[in-house]
Amino acid sequence: MNGAAFDLPGAKREPAPPDEVRLRLGAGEFDRGVRALRAAGARFVTAFKTGAREPTVAGAFALHGELIILSAPLEPESLAALAGFWPAMSWPVRELLERVAPDSVVGGPRLTEPDASRIDRGVTGLDVFTIPYGPVRSGIFEAIQFQIETGGEDVPRIQTRPFFKHRGMEARFEGLAPERAVYVAERVAGIASAAYACAFSQAVERALGVAVPARAERWRAVYLELERIACHLDVIAKEAETTALYVGQARFQILKEQVTRLRARLTGSRFARGVICPGGVRFEGTMELDELLGAVDSLERDLHRDRHLFNATASMTDRLIGSGQLSRALIENYSAVGPLARGSGVATDARHERPYGDYKRLGLRVVTRPEGDAMARVNVRFGELSESLRMLRQSIDQLRRSDGALLAPLPRSRSGAASGWVEAPQGELLIWVELGRGVLRRVHIASPSLRNWALFDHAFPKDVLTDFAFIEHSFGLTPAGADR
Amino acid sequence: MLAWIARGLRQGRITTGYPRAAESPPPGYRGAIEVREQPGPAPAELRALCPTGAIEVDGGGRVSVDRGRCILCGACVEAAPERFAFVAAYETAARSRGALTVPRTDESTLGPLSQTLAEQARALGRSIHVRHIDCGSDGSEEWEIQALWNPYYDVQRLGFFLTAAPRHADILLVSGPVTRAMREPLERTWQVMPAPKALIAVGTDACSGGLAAGGSLTAGGVDGVLPVDVYVPGSPPAPIAILHALLLATGRLAT
Repeated sequence: MNGAAFDLPGAKREPAPPDEVRLRLGAGEFDRGVRALRAAGARFVTAFKTGAREPTVAGAFALHGELIILSAPLEPESLAALAGFWPAMSWPVRELLERVAPDSVVGGPRLTEPDASRIDRGVTGLDVFTIPYGPVRSGIFEAIQFQIETGGEDVPRIQTRPFFKHRGMEARFEGLAPERAVYVAERVAGIASAAYACAFSQAVERALGVAVPARAERWRAVYLELERIACHLDVIAKEAETTALYVGQARFQILKEQVTRLRARLTGSRFARGVICPGGVRFEGTMELDELLGAVDSLERDLHRDRHLFNATASMTDRLIGSGQLSRALIENYSAVGPLARGSGVATDARHERPYGDYKRLGLRVVTRPEGDAMARVNVRFGELSESLRMLRQSIDQLRRSDGALLAPLPRSRSGAASGWVEAPQGELLIWVELGRGVLRRVHIASPSLRNWALFDHAFPKDVLTDFAFIEHSFGLTPAGADR
Repeated sequence: MLAWIARGLRQGRITTGYPRAAESPPPGYRGAIEVREQPGPAPAELRALCPTGAIEVDGGGRVSVDRGRCILCGACVEAAPERFAFVAAYETAARSRGALTVPRTDESTLGPLSQTLAEQARALGRSIHVRHIDCGSDGSEEWEIQALWNPYYDVQRLGFFLTAAPRHADILLVSGPVTRAMREPLERTWQVMPAPKALIAVGTDACSGGLAAGGSLTAGGVDGVLPVDVYVPGSPPAPIAILHALLLATGRLAT
């Protein structure tokens, strides 16, 4: 996977776990490093505060199958300038500055302290009004607000306001032993519990140099792919609901419930919680593997028929084709990830770029579509459902043939820091952990939802107000992950 | 369109018979924690097993678990299987916060407002409109509430309809520990709902804050902001558990 190594003159290379490159820069040099990385074609992942003694800023970037972590002394003014230089950095840098250097942030509303009753007007003109949609939504949805400026049909401006759900989850990790902290990870974004538990566990394992047993990696892949299937089916069911295609909605809801029940049979939890932990998995799945394989087969048969019907229903596809067009350039400027990026022809997938666990063996075929509209994003998900079912069958088959340990012991009272990543159903998830004497000192979560939502404001180039729900569902994000 | 209808019909009936017929969870389902009686007093150190402080050991060495705090992680079951066990149960909701503690000591009754709602619901042929507000959940509660309207649970057969307008709602389902930014929207939503009305706290986070309770960013549960009629613990509670709570709130089930 590794291409040409990225060279940054003047940077000190520090030791790091595999697939991670740590470059340390001096005071006033962070800006230079970021510009060099952008010029080299890197994808921005996140920015966070680190450092025990002196406040340090770290930026994470994906480039040529490696994760580059660039660090330098934290200087709020130059950081604030970077937020304007690279659109992808705008929200993460604003969040960082509002949290660690609130005095440096002057003027304007705060990203991390939204006020439901404040209404912004950016577009002036006859009959243009602002609809504050949310945080109380018109259905069973998570809390987020969209300020939609419209004259009735066209949508000249949308502003997404996250952070209504900010619970301070990163701070909840601090002081906990990793075995216990994984329960917090599972509850950051509940619909992606396995992804969060796995990314967190991998970060801890990489920080402490622990090798996970192969059997545990296979079980993790089973839970991760079942979770992806449930999330993708949820998106497709919601698209069907929005078109009032109620039988279609019911069909995809039935399949989603079946996957949820499979997870309950395997782990006792409908969201497969309590099984993935640092070092491996806590127990064997509590379902006969032959029966599990049979369930996967039946799911595949049903899905095949329902997908065919979905694509043959013009009232459905007409609403999605051409809606919420996102260009490849926009995806790259915002460093978007997941099905959103893949629907605009950008083949980014953490399972492929920096394979982890069982994905080193499973050989993922990255599904992309070039069109960049809501239909493309739904089709990417349909393609990934097939790919997930194929990988599930492969992992289950390997589990059937072999035996082995499930859990590697963690060394006690050790210190270390590392990142762990997983391709969550919403996109690449990165978790940075710092451990001191066996307990978590600092955790930073870079959720795919926060990164991708910054793009929502640009998703209405030719669309009208009634396309809103189609476009929102095609993003398939979760505010809980974005707000943490 | 006809093809969809044919496809739907071919599925046959899959809807649960609950509450007329019992609905049993899959074997090994982690629905709730129960305390196992043991001879002799329990050591106070048992408390430390729980990441959310749900385990209590009183002066006499009697152990209790507050399901309103329990996140069903299983740490206690793993460390002390002679004292704690998972039960495969759905019907864990209760009409008072105290009644969530097992072994149960508190007898719960319906609050006056919810009692009126129950009477009115009977008079109106049991048609009840439900509205949901997210106050900082992890997102899984929303999935389980949405599932109530899927063909497996189909709560419309029991007269529960979803409404977008709080002014039309009889029951408010609240998920999440109530974050700072959601406090005012929650209060305003509740305010504009006409009486009689009932409020259901959905999930451990809504009951007590759960793992998100530490720190000053949340109210540590819905009852820190508004009176709660029915509590459904669980991380997240299963659809049947939430349906059980709806039936409790409308007086159609006693416990």
